[in-house]
Amino acid sequence: MTWLPYAVAAWLFAIGLYGLASSRNLIHLVGCLSVCQSATYVLLLGLGYRYGSIAPIFYDHPPGTPAVDPVMQALVLTDIVVGATLSALLLVLTVQAYKRSGTLDPEHLKPMSRGGDKAAPATSAKHPAR
Amino acid sequence: MSPRLRLAVLGVALLALVPGAAATIAHLPDFGATIAAYGERINAIAPGERHVANMVSAINFDLRGLDTLGEEFMLLAAITGTVVLLRGRRGETLTDRAMRLPGRAILPRSEAVQLTCRLAGPLLMMFGLYVVLHATVTPGGGFQGGVILASGTLLAYLGEGYGGWRDMVRSHWLDAMEGGGAVLFTVCGLAPMLTGAAFMQNVLPLGTFRDVFSGGLMLVENAGVALAVCGGFTQLFLEFLEETREADGPEEPGEDSA
Amino acid sequence: MIASLLASWPPAVLVPLPVAIPLLVCAALLATAHLLPGRTPDILATITALVVSGLSAIIAVQAGDGSVDYWFGGWQPRDGIALGIGFSVDAASGWIGAFIGFLYACTFVFAWGFFARTHGHFHILMLLFLAAMIGFCFTRDLFNLFVWFEVMSVAAFALTAYHLARSSIIGAINFTVVNSLAGFLMLGGIGLLYARAETLDFAGIAQGVAHAGRDPVVAGGFCLVAAALMIKGATVPFQFWLADAHAVAPSPVSVIFSGAMVSLGIFGLAKLSAVVFDGSAQIREAIPVLMIGLGAISAVLGGWMALLQRHLKRLLAFSTISHAGIMLIGIGTLSAQGSAGLLVYVVGHGLVKGGLFMIAGILLATRASIDEIALRGLGRGIAPAGVAMAVAGLLLAGLPVGLLDTGANLLHGSLTAAHPYALAATIAGGALTGAAVLRAAGRIFLGLGEDPGDEAGAPSEAEREKADRPLWLMLAPCCAMLALDAALPASWIHGMAPGAVTAFSHHALRGMVSEGPAWPAWASVAGALGLAAFALFRHRLPRLVVGPIRATQSAPTRALEALHSGLIGDYVAWLAVGLALMAGVLAYA
Repeated sequence: MTWLPYAVAAWLFAIGLYGLASSRNLIHLVGCLSVCQSATYVLLLGLGYRYGSIAPIFYDHPPGTPAVDPVMQALVLTDIVVGATLSALLLVLTVQAYKRSGTLDPEHLKPMSRGGDKAAPATSAKHPAR
Repeated sequence: MSPRLRLAVLGVALLALVPGAAATIAHLPDFGATIAAYGERINAIAPGERHVANMVSAINFDLRGLDTLGEEFMLLAAITGTVVLLRGRRGETLTDRAMRLPGRAILPRSEAVQLTCRLAGPLLMMFGLYVVLHATVTPGGGFQGGVILASGTLLAYLGEGYGGWRDMVRSHWLDAMEGGGAVLFTVCGLAPMLTGAAFMQNVLPLGTFRDVFSGGLMLVENAGVALAVCGGFTQLFLEFLEETREADGPEEPGEDSA
Repeated sequence: MIASLLASWPPAVLVPLPVAIPLLVCAALLATAHLLPGRTPDILATITALVVSGLSAIIAVQAGDGSVDYWFGGWQPRDGIALGIGFSVDAASGWIGAFIGFLYACTFVFAWGFFARTHGHFHILMLLFLAAMIGFCFTRDLFNLFVWFEVMSVAAFALTAYHLARSSIIGAINFTVVNSLAGFLMLGGIGLLYARAETLDFAGIAQGVAHAGRDPVVAGGFCLVAAALMIKGATVPFQFWLADAHAVAPSPVSVIFSGAMVSLGIFGLAKLSAVVFDGSAQIREAIPVLMIGLGAISAVLGGWMALLQRHLKRLLAFSTISHAGIMLIGIGTLSAQGSAGLLVYVVGHGLVKGGLFMIAGILLATRASIDEIALRGLGRGIAPAGVAMAVAGLLLAGLPVGLLDTGANLLHGSLTAAHPYALAATIAGGALTGAAVLRAAGRIFLGLGEDPGDEAGAPSEAEREKADRPLWLMLAPCCAMLALDAALPASWIHGMAPGAVTAFSHHALRGMVSEGPAWPAWASVAGALGLAAFALFRHRLPRLVVGPIRATQSAPTRALEALHSGLIGDYVAWLAVGLALMAGVLAYA
């Protein structure tokens, strides 16, 4: 089963994509994006792990004790910050989208009137005049 | 595309990806067998050369400090963006009343909640500071500690209510904390250049291994990060909580947009 | 004092400054924004951008035919193994950094006072965006590249929704979700490459890749990283987010998006495929198929979609997709000439497209509309803007003057013998996008074309931007950019290109860089003029000519419009399709 963590990572990404494609609620969508991101955590930490090693902190164990890969842990730390920033921004956008259009369903949120010559213009009743 | 067609397209695409993913996974190094040479090398040299016990901090603040600088500013960008996008319509005026849903009873805070929050708040702050200070010896550091410190301020909201929280937290101070922390971190990069060293080179005395004061410049950078993260996250909470307050009147137009 | 310090430093010391200075200024702005008087952020930001531009240019000159390496924290490589993060600046990266700084300076002037009430928040985000772009250009560390990629994305997400109108929020959501997925893909790819090469430094990974031979892990890593950069570079079938985001962002932000951000995705891909992945025969086989195929499709599809739009910024957004496709073709040639063309094209396109978005901003501010039909004839009072738009349209179409043409010419030269279809696609892309811009210019500033009647008053989202700046202030940066594009001599580029490309690709790409044929440029201009004239005067043509064209064109047009549905679920599905396509090509290479 040496491949299991990597397979889990691939599966998490795929299931996250499925969630994104089928989502009917923006908050759920933000959650699905986090699921996709969890795939990267699993992959990176899986690659950095070694059986019988300590955490890369040489306080209780002297330097030279076999430890897991600290680079991967540092990368995941950065990745977590990325996740936090994305969630914050997307939730803000969700709040504002709900205020403007009164719905959280991505199927009912289209950016603008399709631009073609004969395209039907979108209604923008909810949008306050500016 | 209709939702059904879309899922079909996605399903076909994912199925088509399965062989490639399987081949890749099969050729990856066995899980748990070995770690990369880069990490091994850092584990070998960092305790000796930087006198720190926590390798992750050594990477974050020294060996790959530039990544953390970028990460810090990523957070700053997200928080500035949040402020712009949430505050845009609302404006910046203060109000001391939370929004009320008609028909929902307003319960006063129980004294037990208030007492718990008043007791737990300082303790949480202490713990946050502990995590910040011990960045180079134990798991933790500016990011983690900063977040704990920021969540300590949330206890004020829980215990004292919206008005009390709003009295305590001022947006300008948070901006100053966040920006000041980021300035401190950037200066940690630039200042060594004045001595002829490289950007973010660790020119301070390194201290003793396994001591709180070890790691030299890393401690200053860590303090900058803690300051910025604490200010930034509190700002984030503030802006989201402001969404729950009572609107002063009709919504203001977007921040300078039109 | 500073001058004496500068003199005592070795030249390489300047390298971190173009990233550090904007970061420092933006953090200081945030800390003190409430104390600063009104115009300070504008002034500070403009000066910072100019300083960044100047420093990058100095570094580019210092780099000459080699590259300037800089190791952060003083962690020099030991025994040839990199320990820390390095920047490696060659002439091409340096000059592109200088171009980006200049673009920002022009944008800050264009947006003078536009965002006055925001405590400098706009400038803080823009300066971060600038620093991230420079870091992205200069770095030689894969994870550091990812960090700057993400900083760029986060700043861009927030800036897109700045107006807080319904369409800009939804556009920003689509942009955020798709580009976040790009970030995750890239990080996954970095993990795979790290597992194989056991380092994050470009040179180290290149060794690992060359050593690995035909290896699914390396191929998977390439697939994920390349897909991420192609999402940023808006290549079909990853392009959907771009039109939504660029059309709704404030005009000064769109200038940066289309002028620099998208092309940087392609630039990053060009750098990685030459520097890191050159050692893998499998990937070298796959690159021409993927990049030329997808690039040609993007070029034509983007151009066609541009021609269909009446929303001016959306029109320009689609033209960016088309031109990004043309740049991608340059990667696919795997030749020094193609890469040189691509690098020059990035700068030329940025200057011209940035100028066009500024004109769209001028129309939004002075005429309170962005709809081509509604604006018909309304541009008569601002003739200088019309002249600028016509010139920009001709340059976009390929008028053989200036930097954009030098790049296109080099690209054409690399395509004539080996890839005739790609050559046709680049000509078509230039002609279609040029035609769209010229048609809009003719309609808005000359009042040409059919009288729309009721069509003009069709209710669409009311859009306008604040009109608080004099016309000359908005027009000056636009003209400066167009003038710079037109004025840079081709001989200078031709002299510098061979050495710069060799250094850019770390000796992976060598060979002659020679002038291409002149006829494709003229063919493209003629096509653009013909198409624009047809669009403007078709109501005067006999029904016999117009009828069949309308009949054959309407079905595919409707299909294309339906594809760009604006629904995030669709975009995610297409993203998976694109990934599968890339994996398939890699498997058969």
